[in-house]
Amino acid sequence: METFLQVVANGLMLGGLFAIISIGLTLIFGIIKVVNFAHGEFLMAGMFLTYLITTKLGLHPYASVVVVAPALFVLGALTQRLLIQPLLSARDDHVQIFATVGLSTAMINLALLLYGADIANTPTSGLRTPVDIGPVRVLEGQIYIFLCAALLVVGLELFLHRTQTGRAIRAVAQNRAAAQLMGINANWIYVLSFGIGAACVGLASSLIAPLYPTSSTIGTYFVLTAFVVVVLGGLGSIPGAFVGAMLIGLIDALAGFYIGSDLREAVVFGVFLIILILRPSGLFGTRVKLSHIS
Amino acid sequence: MTKTALMTSSALALALLAGQAAAEVKFGALYPFSGGLALLGEESARGLEIAVDEINAAGGVQGEQVVLERGDAVDNNQAIGEARRLISVAGVKAIFGSYSSARSIAASQVAELAGIPYFELGAVADEVTARDFKYLFRTNPTADHMGKLIVNMIVEKVAPGLGKDPKDLKIGIIHEDSSYGTSVAGHQKRYGEEAGLNIVTTQGYPAATVDMSSIVLDLKQREVDIVLQTSYQNDSVLFLQQANEAGFKPAAIIGGGGGYSMLPTAEAVGSDVIEGVLDADFTQYAVNTEFTPGLEAFVAAYKAKYNEEPRSGHSLNNYVGAMAVLKAIDGAGSFEPDAIVASVSAIDIPQGATAAGYGVQFGAGNQNDRASMMGMQWQDGRLVTVYPEAAAAAEMRFAQ
Repeated sequence: METFLQVVANGLMLGGLFAIISIGLTLIFGIIKVVNFAHGEFLMAGMFLTYLITTKLGLHPYASVVVVAPALFVLGALTQRLLIQPLLSARDDHVQIFATVGLSTAMINLALLLYGADIANTPTSGLRTPVDIGPVRVLEGQIYIFLCAALLVVGLELFLHRTQTGRAIRAVAQNRAAAQLMGINANWIYVLSFGIGAACVGLASSLIAPLYPTSSTIGTYFVLTAFVVVVLGGLGSIPGAFVGAMLIGLIDALAGFYIGSDLREAVVFGVFLIILILRPSGLFGTRVKLSHIS
Repeated sequence: MTKTALMTSSALALALLAGQAAAEVKFGALYPFSGGLALLGEESARGLEIAVDEINAAGGVQGEQVVLERGDAVDNNQAIGEARRLISVAGVKAIFGSYSSARSIAASQVAELAGIPYFELGAVADEVTARDFKYLFRTNPTADHMGKLIVNMIVEKVAPGLGKDPKDLKIGIIHEDSSYGTSVAGHQKRYGEEAGLNIVTTQGYPAATVDMSSIVLDLKQREVDIVLQTSYQNDSVLFLQQANEAGFKPAAIIGGGGGYSMLPTAEAVGSDVIEGVLDADFTQYAVNTEFTPGLEAFVAAYKAKYNEEPRSGHSLNNYVGAMAVLKAIDGAGSFEPDAIVASVSAIDIPQGATAAGYGVQFGAGNQNDRASMMGMQWQDGRLVTVYPEAAAAAEMRFAQ
């Protein structure tokens, strides 16, 4: 029984990790309808930034978030303004996807050029200290990640539903043409949304950097799971991403222990396919309108 | 100065110039110099460069100075393209390489078809020499040697050190699931079973994993005494950290190359966590130099040329292989491929006579049968050689 509880705890903590990474991705997708393949590289950039701030200035990794999140906001906003926006009028929407794939490759190789292929270790600052909660043991840093992910979901939902800007964002997501007729500057909303989505990744990187060594390719480790989580939760749904992440985390941990570590990916993706067959629009998804104009 | 004297001296100068220009032979250096494998690709190539410098200073091969033409094998396709370019455009007489097994397998096919000798100095996959190529030779130890060394080390050193019969120890094998980890794990299992070891579990996992807690929990439940992990850097760090945090303390952890030999791994997990962890890899620098004659001279040459300490054992192993091969080419009589192959096939260097400790003699598939790895241990933040006895720079330590 104790073992089972420990496996479940591991799964939930893993879920928290997947959730904090996926929230920005689902936000960007839900509003701009762009699949950002450079999402993992945004994470990598944020983690390197956290590493630099922590080691050069001697700050706590969590304190670096006041620099990292705004920096990622700017990176995201610039990506939307300079890379995606010129392509929005392209005849085929998929052009934007390839643009983000290109951005991803460029960022990985830029990081290789700047940092080489070696790992960079952000000081753990005591966040890898194990904490015993009843019969289970988790890391301090994992608990913070889990709590931050939950708070971020609640915060974003409140922002999107209770503020004027949030309503404008949802209006553009639902129907760009109608929103523009209501006097909303859709391009500005897109830039803002991409920025917010990237800033969420910035928050995630400051939380994750002390627990995982940073490397040029670290983004690729997380990004596939983040896509699975986002699709499972219903593309664009923020609470959906959270639930999806918990589900994937639990399946991963349980399958890894009870079925075998070599089969965990097979099980995770098997369950993923079954859920998609039964609920094609994901757990929390309504029929998503993929068009920008509709 | 008289007119005749002027003419003689300029004729002499011309002759010298012409002689110098003619007395050059080109070899290819095919490594990943950019991309994700660049760090150790470059490190490997440095070993070859030092060998060439040494040979050139001693008069070159067959009286000709060796010039290295670099080829950047950034991926498998480019490895093939660069091998073609080296052979047909640059006109190299032989190719040295290549650190990565996949690049080596791809590029050596081109060389084999063109009938140009290919000398592999660093790739470990079994397949490289399993194809019975005529023009391909490999000087370095392989995945097979790694598995064998680890099992021998358990039987001869670790079990006695723990005061146990090797058969009473529960052994858990975990490995990343690409061909590298899978083949090493396969050899560990095979040699382990031959030696009568009790292997309780063998588990693969993807190298790009972000969580190994379920593997740690499983090993803990099975009360595994010795964990064998074959891994890259990220997963080595992850396993050592998560095992430590879960309170899982096996009597010994033995890593296979990759992440376990590198200082950043030790820095990532902390020197107290990695203290006592064992590792099998190419010969490194903290070793009994009586067993590795020439090692100190190599390190001195490395520092003089590159202004830093060697970053891993890759340069040393490439240097040793390149020296053996270059000396054989020197005695080949000509640069014809078949003359080179005949001379290299006849190499007979005994154990303990090279800077890496191992000897050179080619057997089936043109694999160096005398190649071997060494057992190392992290002691006080340093990776020191502890096995075999003859090469050990320190005694193996055991947790009390």
